[in-house]
Amino acid sequence: MIEATGLRVRWPHTADDVLAGVDLRVDAGERVLLLGTSGSGKSTLLRALAGVVPQQVDASTWGDVRVAGHRVLSPTAPGAPAVPTTTTAVLARDVGTLTQDPWAQLCLPTVEDEVASGLEHRGVPRAQIGRRVREALLAVGAAHLRGRRTAELSGGEGQRVALATVLAARPRVLLLDEPTALLDPAAATAVAHALRRAATGRATLLVEHRLDEQGADEQGADEPARRGTDEARSDGGATDGQDAAAGLPGRVVVLGPAGRVLADGPTADVLRDLAHDLAALGTWLPWWAELAAARVRDLADLPAVAPARAPDDAPVLLQSRDLVVRRGDRTAVAGASLDVRAGRVTAVVGLNGSGKSSLLLALAGLLPAEGVVRGARPALVLQRPEQQLLARTVRDEVAWGPRRARLPDADARTDAALAAHGLTGLAGADPFRLSGGQQRRLAVAAVTVGDHEVVLADEPTFGQDRATWRTCARALRGLADAGRGVVLVTHDVRLVAEVADDVLVLRDGRVLAHGPVDAVLRAGALPRAGLPLPPAVRAALADGRPVAAVLGALAARVGEHAVAGVPA
Amino acid sequence: MTAAGRDVAPDAGADRVDADGRADAPVVDVRARRGLTLSELVLLAVLAVLFGFLYWALVQAWAALQIAMGPFGDLAQHVLIGGWMVVAPLAIYIVRKPGVGVVVELVAALVEFAFLASPVGPMLLLVGLVQGVGAELAFTLTRYRRYGWWVFVASGVTAALASTLLGTVRYGWHLQDLFALRVGLQVVSGIVLCGLLARVLGDALARTGVLDETALGRERRARRAAAEVPA
Amino acid sequence: MTTAGRTAPGPTALARRDPTVVLGTLLVVSLLLLVPVDPWTPGALLVAAVAAARAGGVPWRTLLRGAATFGPFAVSVLAVNLVTRPGVPVAHVAGLTVTDVGALVGAGLAVRTLLVGTLAVVVASSLDPVRLVTSLHQRVGLTSRAAAALLAGHRVLEQLPARWVAVRQAQAARLPGPRPRRPGRLPASPRLLGRAAFTLLVVTLRQAQQMAVALETRGVGSGPRTVHRPVPLGPGDGVLAATALGVVLLVGLVTWRLGLLETWGTVGR
Repeated sequence: MIEATGLRVRWPHTADDVLAGVDLRVDAGERVLLLGTSGSGKSTLLRALAGVVPQQVDASTWGDVRVAGHRVLSPTAPGAPAVPTTTTAVLARDVGTLTQDPWAQLCLPTVEDEVASGLEHRGVPRAQIGRRVREALLAVGAAHLRGRRTAELSGGEGQRVALATVLAARPRVLLLDEPTALLDPAAATAVAHALRRAATGRATLLVEHRLDEQGADEQGADEPARRGTDEARSDGGATDGQDAAAGLPGRVVVLGPAGRVLADGPTADVLRDLAHDLAALGTWLPWWAELAAARVRDLADLPAVAPARAPDDAPVLLQSRDLVVRRGDRTAVAGASLDVRAGRVTAVVGLNGSGKSSLLLALAGLLPAEGVVRGARPALVLQRPEQQLLARTVRDEVAWGPRRARLPDADARTDAALAAHGLTGLAGADPFRLSGGQQRRLAVAAVTVGDHEVVLADEPTFGQDRATWRTCARALRGLADAGRGVVLVTHDVRLVAEVADDVLVLRDGRVLAHGPVDAVLRAGALPRAGLPLPPAVRAALADGRPVAAVLGALAARVGEHAVAGVPA
Repeated sequence: MTAAGRDVAPDAGADRVDADGRADAPVVDVRARRGLTLSELVLLAVLAVLFGFLYWALVQAWAALQIAMGPFGDLAQHVLIGGWMVVAPLAIYIVRKPGVGVVVELVAALVEFAFLASPVGPMLLLVGLVQGVGAELAFTLTRYRRYGWWVFVASGVTAALASTLLGTVRYGWHLQDLFALRVGLQVVSGIVLCGLLARVLGDALARTGVLDETALGRERRARRAAAEVPA
Repeated sequence: MTTAGRTAPGPTALARRDPTVVLGTLLVVSLLLLVPVDPWTPGALLVAAVAAARAGGVPWRTLLRGAATFGPFAVSVLAVNLVTRPGVPVAHVAGLTVTDVGALVGAGLAVRTLLVGTLAVVVASSLDPVRLVTSLHQRVGLTSRAAAALLAGHRVLEQLPARWVAVRQAQAARLPGPRPRRPGRLPASPRLLGRAAFTLLVVTLRQAQQMAVALETRGVGSGPRTVHRPVPLGPGDGVLAATALGVVLLVGLVTWRLGLLETWGTVGR
């Protein structure tokens, strides 16, 4: 179904290849997981297979690519550059593509029109469209959304509708580019299940960070799971009789930083044998492979030292009492009281729509609210950092706040912040040109450069690979350790467990639990709010020692071996 | 959007032959299509929406300025007129194909009146057409090959004159005392708020990288590469 | 914000008609309205339009909103014409001379502004974007790619108000200094507003690029397309167009017979 030989891709006017000779063959009915570090060309590979590169995105290409019987890229002569020989649109009659952002994929005002549009443009006779729309929505557990307006869908609903639009056309090949990256855990699990059901009989190439959730039980989804019990085996994957790679595609392909295939084989084998190399590449691993990367069988084998944290009676920098936030005629937050203390990280957790972002905006004074908020004006790092950009260069961006506050040492502070966040080399670049990870570092630098006592961050680890995630977590903990108060709004339970001191759990705008992080985790408040505990956190809780200490020790050990194990 | 957006030579048929896997089929680059690509059409539609929205906001500013200017409030439109035409030269600067200035003004007018409701009503379609043609004229005369500052100034002037002509027909400006003043204000506004602003905006947007996959982005990239490696 | 993002048509009679016919009729009517410059012809039509809109189920609220929006323009058009038209002086106000022709033409253009504004509000409140684009595809040969692009544009329009607020909030969060005195009140300095508008432009154009790729990978323009929910063209559409044009011509005929009709060619003679 997919046949790529010697595929090379190079961006215009650059010297290095993004993909430097990739050979890949995927047969009908086969599911393949594509792993690799950020910038290793995973997305570029999917986009080249879909024809988007080089048709909609300029690039120079070499090699021979055939997908679903179409000649996608053909060399003009042996060894010469290859040109696209099937338009993306024609290719789309047999190839379905799903990307991470539902808002960039939904193009029509209602769900039914959205799903139907994929059929209309592929010329499906009118008489069949209604039935196929209903079937496709049913297949992704979204039958009840048919009459809804796209603008009113949540992220998870939007992504399922986007998937239905893809499936309605009955593609023979599915190209899935981090389809769950922007979803909360419940929605991610539901979409992962819908994707697994959809893969039957198709060639599927999946890029995905959230490996633990691929195999998780469908929790909080509105349709009971209909999984086959022997699904992992039916994929043709060798699972060694163990349940380890259950839910994951049977085969994994690893792309290295130089744009070449590093490994290609049965998922369980590759993940086990290359665990520490994969960790070094900065990719996420399923829990059991992470243990393998740390070269321990059990967390008890790790020496854990509880990190030094500020005491729970440290000075209060920002305080809210009985905060009520209304948005339109809906009560988004129904009475939240919170103390942000110097040197401590408070996590506000809940599913999307639980009111946590409204609470954050109210704490920052950006939404009108009833109740009391006392304290300094906090700095705020939002989910989409590009919306916060104010200047034309990275340097001016960081200097913007200090200059506006007329700080005498604005230039010195700016230089220090740029250096601390690895941005010195990018100082002259346009901030909009940075990658997602770089933009987030810029947002943090632009916050830390000022005198804000309190820093609020909205989903700071959204959709990131392991390496970027780790950098971000460290930066946030560093802010607190330097004496600031930090509030994280997130549904990333692992982040909460590793860096937070206190946690406030929200469900439907109400506070479900509030207290020190270990106590709240042990009380089971997160699953009640719809946030299942990832296996790493479950294991750390079972270990009995402080959760942050255990996970910190694991991260240190994985990092140690990862550094030692970097392939030359 | 019809004329300029008409699909050119749907290549489905040819591809179907290839789909059967004939290895000896000639290698034909499918990028070589005339007319506007889907990416360009979506870019134009979104530009039209954005500027239709901004134009509509400008109408509210117009109302405020009108009231502030008292009995001469009707002249406020001449001060602002250039701002209502800026999307045409901007779109041409980015896409560099004939007709896009007219198309984008027409769609912006449709958005402004059909979805946001404007006091000018459906006449906006005619206004958009005339203004688009006026703004595009300067680029047509240079065969869509020159994008120096003076072409944008000329575009502002032609747009303002076209718009004046229409106003004269609609409101009988030529019968009024203030005709010369009206024309003068329109031309100045056309040069500054339409021509020059379009060039400034286009360059600022290109810097951010969002226009990399457009004719403007490609040209800037090639120029930068040429500057780095002197041939 | 009048109708941005509000696209579900109300249960008005107009919402059931073919959108291309509605827009075409409206365009022709407003072209015809260029002819008279006296207040009587558009005045009579304004009364007829309001009556027809009420009969068709358009709420008073929509009509009054139109009047409130377009009232200032009408007043302004009246004011400037009063004092800038040559004719017989009838009054002197603050050093300016009001003429009879100025009063007549000013009133005529002001009532025309109100009439066209009312018609525009009524049509905008009853127009469904998908039906409009489908109808343009069926009736006037809008290509499938152009239709898809227009609908993508409409999605962007729907999200624009919320995104504008989000960008302003995001940028306001960067401000140093004490807490805002009134929570929720965003800074409105021209520089910050300009910067927010630019950021809005950039993030929206980036979304446009992603949507274009999404549409490509959905097969838009890959060959002949079908239409899931075609917009029917019925006798009601003909009746609508004929009635609207007939009423305009009839009113024009009556005012002409009564000697009230004035055009640019006759006014001031």
